[in-house]
Amino acid sequence: MRLFKTLRLASRDYAHEWQMSGCFVLALAAVLGPMLVLFGLKFGIVGGMLQQLVENPETREVRPVSSGHFETDWFERMRGRSDIAFLVPRTRSIAATIELNSEKSGHIVRAELIPSGYGDPLLPAGGRVPESMNEVVLSQLAAEKLQVAAGDRIDGSVTRHYAGKKERTHVELSVAEVAPVAAFAREGAFADVRLVEAVEDFRDGREVPELGWQGSTNPDERSYPGFRLYARSIYDVAALKDDLTGQGIEVRTKAGDIELVMRMDRNLSVIYWAIAIIGLLGFSLSLGASLWANVDRKRKELSVLRLVGFRTGDIVWFPVTQALYTGLLGWALAIAIYFAAAFAINNMLADQLATGQQVCILLPQHYALALAMTVGAAVVAAALAGWRSARIEPSDGLREI
Amino acid sequence: MENVFQSRSKAKPTVYHLRDVIRDRASEGVTFRLRVPALQITQGEKIALIGESGCGKSTLLDMLAFIAQPSQIAAFRFRPEREDDAIDVALMWKKRQMNKLGDLRKRHIGYVMQTGGLLPYLTVRDNMSLSRSVLGLPENDTVQSLARELGIARHLDKLPETLSVGERQRVAIGRALAHEPSIVIADEPTASVDPFAAEKIMSLFIGLAEERNITVVVASHAWRHIKRLGLRRLAHHTHRSNDGRTTETVVNG
Repeated sequence: MRLFKTLRLASRDYAHEWQMSGCFVLALAAVLGPMLVLFGLKFGIVGGMLQQLVENPETREVRPVSSGHFETDWFERMRGRSDIAFLVPRTRSIAATIELNSEKSGHIVRAELIPSGYGDPLLPAGGRVPESMNEVVLSQLAAEKLQVAAGDRIDGSVTRHYAGKKERTHVELSVAEVAPVAAFAREGAFADVRLVEAVEDFRDGREVPELGWQGSTNPDERSYPGFRLYARSIYDVAALKDDLTGQGIEVRTKAGDIELVMRMDRNLSVIYWAIAIIGLLGFSLSLGASLWANVDRKRKELSVLRLVGFRTGDIVWFPVTQALYTGLLGWALAIAIYFAAAFAINNMLADQLATGQQVCILLPQHYALALAMTVGAAVVAAALAGWRSARIEPSDGLREI
Repeated sequence: MENVFQSRSKAKPTVYHLRDVIRDRASEGVTFRLRVPALQITQGEKIALIGESGCGKSTLLDMLAFIAQPSQIAAFRFRPEREDDAIDVALMWKKRQMNKLGDLRKRHIGYVMQTGGLLPYLTVRDNMSLSRSVLGLPENDTVQSLARELGIARHLDKLPETLSVGERQRVAIGRALAHEPSIVIADEPTASVDPFAAEKIMSLFIGLAEERNITVVVASHAWRHIKRLGLRRLAHHTHRSNDGRTTETVVNG
């Protein structure tokens, strides 16, 4: 009840002195508003770059530089790791091509065979992947040249020189899906690893009983010259690279690009926090000083309240209530300033950005954090000033004027 | 000591009993000391403290209102109502029970400041009701009728800044009386008003206190019209040391 009375008196005083109150609110928003814009820019720019890196699967790819000998055991072992999202063996690239032909198209399209499977980061998540030796996902260019779409049937053929004569063998394939342009820019066919192996075997003069292809018998142990490997996230790439290098496998990654953006994020964060901390310090000091001065200015009125019987604890609530108002209103005004600035900046750069991408952006938790810091600083300053003025003898306060 | 026996022999109870109460205050190398060897104020008494400004009148009033702490106390007892036990104010100060002293002031004392001390953001009505509202007293026509008696009824819903100085002092008197205290302390309530208005306000104030049988302690520098209102003048002497370093005022009564 007493608290409520104090709150009511403080509110009426605040409203009565609206010009003075307005100045405090403006002063607060003038510091907080630009700080929000600054943080919005840092968050928007670096966030956008990180987003691009994360969304682009190429960033997560780890490529072997030269060919090696990778056994099935090695693939099994590596697939068990939590930092690897996708890993399939590659056959010799010279052997990994296939000639494709369709009824609609007159000419043969020579396509690269890309070993694929579930979770292939190049293929759209949730889309079809080649599941058997008779299925392929065509690249956009290959599908265009063959004039086919998902569901169509095409003919795949491979040639070899075997026992002194040229041989051609065929396999009937169905188009499971046509991959987007971003997945593979040339003529290509994403195929089950077994089909890729079969093509290599045939070229090497070996038999492929599953497809009825003749040749010599297969050796027991198969070894691959390379692999397609994608890390779980961009943050795993550097460690994965170091690990493979440690195994004697020389690899190429985008770790440099990732490191660049991450370093930029760190550096921008340091710069931002330096500015923010200096700004916050200055802001807290100026807010504290003005609230302190305000309490000093009101010492006589606060003494009058004590004279009529308000207790020390009640008196402290008086400046605290007013500081809360200043904090809340100043914060709201700062948000308004931020919105105006962010809208202008995003609009200005709209044509240089992908749709939906924003240069200046803040999340709800950032607003909440700004509010908590503002109100916290305001209340502490006002409570200290209020406490000090409540401790002086009321007679001193009364005699000042 | 004579006074103590006198007051005890009377039927009226002693509201204030002070013995050897001292307050020292240093300012710019000069020490001001207010010494009260003995002071008794009985219920319903009207006391006037007359003297030039700076002699320590306000200091005594502030000590009587518990808003200034004495430097030394031999005895300081307060008995606001006849049925109450005497309260040991000296002990409360010693224990720094500021809130308890504040509660005593809130319940029993009205204080009129020299400059009104009205809150600029409250209307005249709310300023006058303030002393009632902190006590949780019901809202009734007390403020209204007090305002009528003080001649400020038409200003009740205005802010203090729209009132003349004299009107503001009337509001201050109203606030000091609104919660029906048993003691009203007034520190030169008419100092900033012209002599004619001052006389009018002072007699209005004393009249209202008389009606309500309120104990009054008023400081003033004009004895002439105070004397006509029948107040008891409190004797005091001020000595200045030869080197001018200390000024001592002694109040007895």
